[in-house]
Amino acid sequence: MVCNDNVLKVDNLDFSYEENHKKTLSNINFSVSRGKFLGIIGPNGSGKTTLLKIISGILKPSQGKITVFGKELADLSIEKIAQFTSVVPQETSVIFDFKVKEVVFMGRLPFISRINGETIEDYEISREAMERAKCLSLAEKNIHEISGGEKQRVFIAKALAQTPQLLLLDEFTSHLDINYKHEVVKFFKKVLENDKIIIVSAFHDLNLASILSNRLILLNEGKIEKIGTPQEVINEDIFEKVYGTRPTIINHPTLHIPQVII
Amino acid sequence: MNKSSKEIAGYTNWRKKLILTIIWGSFSIVVINFICLNFGVVSVHPKEIFSLLWGSSHDKTNSLIIWQLRFPRIIMATLTGIALSTVGGAFQGILRNPLADPYILGVSAGAALGACTAIFLQYATGYFLTPYLPLFALTGAMLSIYLVYMTAKVRYRLPLEGLLLSGVTVTFLFSAIITILIALSEKGLHSMVFWLMGDLSTANWNKITIVTFPVIVGCLIFFFFSLDLNALSLGEEEALHLGVNIKKLRLRIFIIGSIIIASVVSFTGLIGFVGLVVPHIARLLVGPDHRVMLPTSALLGAIFLPLCDTLARTIIAPSEIPIGAITALIGAPVFIHLLRRKSTKNGL
Repeated sequence: MVCNDNVLKVDNLDFSYEENHKKTLSNINFSVSRGKFLGIIGPNGSGKTTLLKIISGILKPSQGKITVFGKELADLSIEKIAQFTSVVPQETSVIFDFKVKEVVFMGRLPFISRINGETIEDYEISREAMERAKCLSLAEKNIHEISGGEKQRVFIAKALAQTPQLLLLDEFTSHLDINYKHEVVKFFKKVLENDKIIIVSAFHDLNLASILSNRLILLNEGKIEKIGTPQEVINEDIFEKVYGTRPTIINHPTLHIPQVII
Repeated sequence: MNKSSKEIAGYTNWRKKLILTIIWGSFSIVVINFICLNFGVVSVHPKEIFSLLWGSSHDKTNSLIIWQLRFPRIIMATLTGIALSTVGGAFQGILRNPLADPYILGVSAGAALGACTAIFLQYATGYFLTPYLPLFALTGAMLSIYLVYMTAKVRYRLPLEGLLLSGVTVTFLFSAIITILIALSEKGLHSMVFWLMGDLSTANWNKITIVTFPVIVGCLIFFFFSLDLNALSLGEEEALHLGVNIKKLRLRIFIIGSIIIASVVSFTGLIGFVGLVVPHIARLLVGPDHRVMLPTSALLGAIFLPLCDTLARTIIAPSEIPIGAITALIGAPVFIHLLRRKSTKNGL
């Protein structure tokens, strides 16, 4: 058993958007420990994003308990949560023409006193985050003048600047080119290795989920259909039940993990 | 904390930008105020104005013109410019809407209804209510804010679209009531219409004393919300992820903004366009970071409005043009020019 202070634990979680309404999520149980990557997959509308929103504290669960690093999430204010959790959103809509470096710097907000202001360290952390997410060359650019993929890297940098212990990713690969997808795999593996944080990510791309995740959760209509290693979860029978069509699953020639092809 | 580490970080210091803005802004305000003092129906020599301000001249007529008529009016315009521009900028931030202005959430309509009610009651009952007019206006503004807030609030949050729509709706509702008050009150008609058009001619030092505190303190408080407003520019959820309590932030900026606007508007009436355009000009000049943008907005407003008011009172002197017309006539072309210059620079 891992020490409780190093895990994200979700117990008997239920959630519905309206009272007495159909449950968006029900009976969710899992735990992840530091240094691990948990992938969440499932069809559209299965509750992936909702689950992330609950873990990030934006939505309050109707029932159940979430414990992060030994503290109960319900007891923490969003100000406190932001000091150890950061999120890379699926879509962004920035208003006003902020520069990339200004957007990344906003990752430091949870640590900046509104009276005393930021320190040089905050700038250095932001710069390092841009370097790590390979968007330092964009630093002076207007956030509205860069491509979707570049923007996603900027928001990854912003999330890193927040120095998270728990990093939540919501289908962050949707705008990425194949070359950057490859880099992102290496990148997040390195982040896990160096920082020993927890990463929880919702995926639309099943193959990337399989490559990146130590464990996968397959959600179907708000319930966990299957939880386990990619080898255990990515399975023709389970996928046929959840997605309605039977996929072909092959073994990745070099990585030896299951990959789904049509 | 040496310079090289700043360069390594790749960030320039916003404080430098802010200090420069404040120095330039304050200098311009003094110059503009002095220039504006020179214009008026009666001509007073600049040397004489200097000595009047210095206290070394005792010409009674000139002293009255400068100290009791022109100067309070210019100071009132300065304060009004600060208030409208800062609140406009902050409202654009919390509503995530570049088309927002200080009046969009119904604050002005509430204040207007309050003021018109006071005028109406004064003529209907015979009680002299003019001294309480600001109180009526503030009550009206609070009522409108409360109505807008209660209409827009849903269980989980304060959605933007709902907020804007209820602001517009409350404005319409209150305007309808104001129209009825105007129709019913023959004697009060003149005061009401003048109030609604925006009029700085009644400015005096007492009013300035009352307005200064909410405007200056309110705008300074806004400054401490700058980082939160920056975060909100990234999106509502993004701001939450950065630990910004959006609901609290919106509520605070609402309330403080409405107090600032109500206090100003109850003395000056509704002066349009400033609160919409000045923040945009500020953003074009210094960028969107609210820590620099809001003070720049305030200073630009403080320069822009006294100029407009001076034009309003001198162009067809001794008659006056409503200041709202001047703000739009000058502001719109300047704004269009800046927007065009910016879009050609960006190659859009």
